[in-house]
Amino acid sequence: MSEVISQAALRTLTAEWIAAGKQVAGPTRVKPDLILYSQLHSADALLLEGFVRPSNSIKEFVFPKQEKLYGYRIQGNSVELVEDDAPFPEQIVIAARPCDAAALPILDKVFNWDFVDEFYNRRRAATTVITLACNIADETCFCTSVGLGPVSERGSDVMLFDIGEHNYEVYCVTEKGRALFSGKTEKSGQTVRATAAPEKKFNPETIRSFVTEHFEDPFWQEHALTCVGCGTCAFTCPTCHCFDIVDAGPAAGNARVRTWDSCQFPIFTAHASGHNPRPGQASRQRQRMLHKFAIYPEKFGEILCTGCGNCTRNCPEGIGVLSVAMEIDPIETKHG
Amino acid sequence: MSEANVFEPKIVAYVCNWCTYLGADLAGTTRLEYPPNVRIIRLPCTGRIDFNLIIKGFEIGADAVLVSGCHPGDCHYTAGNYHARRRWILFRELLDVLGFDLRRIHFTWISAAEGKKWQQVITEITEETRKLGPYTDLYANGSAKNLPAAAPAPFKTKTLAPEPELREHCHKLLAEGTVKVVIGYGERGPAVVTRAEDTGRLVWTNRCCSNLTTYLKRKEIKALGKPAVVVKPCDEKSLVVLEKESQIERKDIHVIGMACEGVGEPKCTFCTARTPRFADKTFGEPTGPETPASPPPNRFAALMAMTPRERMAFWATQFDRCVKCYACRQVCPLCYCERCIVDKNRPIAIDPAPSRKGNFAWQIARAFHLAARCVGCGECSRACPAGIDLALLNIALHKAAQDNFGYDAGVDPAAEAVLGAYSLQDKEDFIG
Repeated sequence: MSEVISQAALRTLTAEWIAAGKQVAGPTRVKPDLILYSQLHSADALLLEGFVRPSNSIKEFVFPKQEKLYGYRIQGNSVELVEDDAPFPEQIVIAARPCDAAALPILDKVFNWDFVDEFYNRRRAATTVITLACNIADETCFCTSVGLGPVSERGSDVMLFDIGEHNYEVYCVTEKGRALFSGKTEKSGQTVRATAAPEKKFNPETIRSFVTEHFEDPFWQEHALTCVGCGTCAFTCPTCHCFDIVDAGPAAGNARVRTWDSCQFPIFTAHASGHNPRPGQASRQRQRMLHKFAIYPEKFGEILCTGCGNCTRNCPEGIGVLSVAMEIDPIETKHG
Repeated sequence: MSEANVFEPKIVAYVCNWCTYLGADLAGTTRLEYPPNVRIIRLPCTGRIDFNLIIKGFEIGADAVLVSGCHPGDCHYTAGNYHARRRWILFRELLDVLGFDLRRIHFTWISAAEGKKWQQVITEITEETRKLGPYTDLYANGSAKNLPAAAPAPFKTKTLAPEPELREHCHKLLAEGTVKVVIGYGERGPAVVTRAEDTGRLVWTNRCCSNLTTYLKRKEIKALGKPAVVVKPCDEKSLVVLEKESQIERKDIHVIGMACEGVGEPKCTFCTARTPRFADKTFGEPTGPETPASPPPNRFAALMAMTPRERMAFWATQFDRCVKCYACRQVCPLCYCERCIVDKNRPIAIDPAPSRKGNFAWQIARAFHLAARCVGCGECSRACPAGIDLALLNIALHKAAQDNFGYDAGVDPAAEAVLGAYSLQDKEDFIG
């Protein structure tokens, strides 16, 4: 016997959460050709079917694009710090993709490594993730190439599986998830989960050995020629987590803010002297692949990529991890 | 009403050192009284008053901004005020599209002898602003309306006829050493080919979206030697502007023009350019301008039909999605500064945080730096991962340049650029 909820009931439940003052986020159609995870003000805006995945990722709900660390005021020679430790409201991310949910345990490791990041942890603790397993994949999806799949539970508190006719099988992974759905589901005997997995497109081990052994390879130079150096790949990636700290507001004081940063920007590594240890786009592209397939795995034992394909899908010039990885290890040509 | 509750407007006045500042000084020395609501910021010349300062004034809480300098013909530097006048004509249009309250932005000419006029102007502006009340609409939420949008038409990728000829031509160019590198399109996006035997990678389909002229500025590409670049008629216009701005030498670039009927992007719906005009070699049969069977909604007209308050709310909603990935800047062939103003941090000119304020500041700077330069290739909108209608800002400025100066960037290589030049006849009906 499995637990089942209808789409209508799921929407009602979502509306109840919103009404109860919880911050609920999920996929919404912001334009005819654009779907983004965004804050839901009404359960009607929640989009549950007919698309591969939103163009952004759910990382922004635990690691926002800009986050105030503290405020400050400057008067004469004195500086006054204004801390803000208001509790973060309970937050639910609904209809996340497995490739988004799987990014959270990956981020947890970074934000609790040598420094325990209270800002991240505060949001993370207040967040429950309800994942909707994929029943559609496109040519840019590659979760199966990095050890995940359309039904991966990693990072999810609840899994929803499409069982047809606007019904979902509910599988609670954690207690936090169970609390949200207890008493809200019905029992059902026969359920057939509709899922779709992308084919395997490259072998991550091949990528790892290539990036570690070919640091000075002309491949990088050649491959990076079409990169225009924007931060779209990093900013729409569920696992990229580099940040900058800036002062926002007038000089007399306002706030110190953490903002997303990207290794694809020249100023990411620019020294005050003017020297830049990563002088060109080739070294920046190489860095992104190195970090994902060698540096992070060495430290934390897993790949810094969930195969969502966002970097390639959103790249104005069609590059991203998938294109690079398939140039390094084109499985399709090797294996027929 | 207690005195504390009376609204006293804050007015920031950016004035030139030689005329208006002295005019204000004269008002003081002749004991003319005027409201103390004005904060004067003295700059060398109106020509040196950066448009960002107007925005900064509002950001830090001004209820109205005044920009004032020497009368036409009186500029201490001969023509600074004429240049400023041109800039303001265009900048006002941008502010209007963004939904700024134009009743709070004032321009005047006040000479060193016009202490009396300074007194009058400040009194009037203070009174007017007092009536308008505090500028609470700045970057406010309001009730944002959506623009009409057509659902994306299903689009099937197809290879176009001239592909083999294009490959053959590029092969010849590289084999004979005419060029060292071909910037063209590949299966997944742009392709940079340096070896004749690799020209088979080049494609020509109806999904060749990128404006490849943006690669001409990249030092990695420059290092490869003389380039050939594949352009559509819309992309070609950026070459005209780049040459005008001394960024390229046309003779050092081999231009391969492709006749084009659109690449299935919204940006192509209004485009009537079908044939490249200045290419060294053109492929494809030029076809006449097409009228779409059902023309898509005119988003710009719909935007301008809103009230300023609604427009600002519209942009606030759009810019809230901005993550400052700078894809708009990076794909733009005309954004070629080695270090963008937003990357400068000594001092920080534009708030680097992707806050609403920071995003407005960035998008205003981006759009205005392209004023009367943008050729309308629409790449900024296509590249934006947050789906912001950036091209609408460029369209506004393009229209302003056309209406006021009859200028169409990238069309006539001989036409004089709008900014950097001036005419004694430029309109000044908005200058008091």
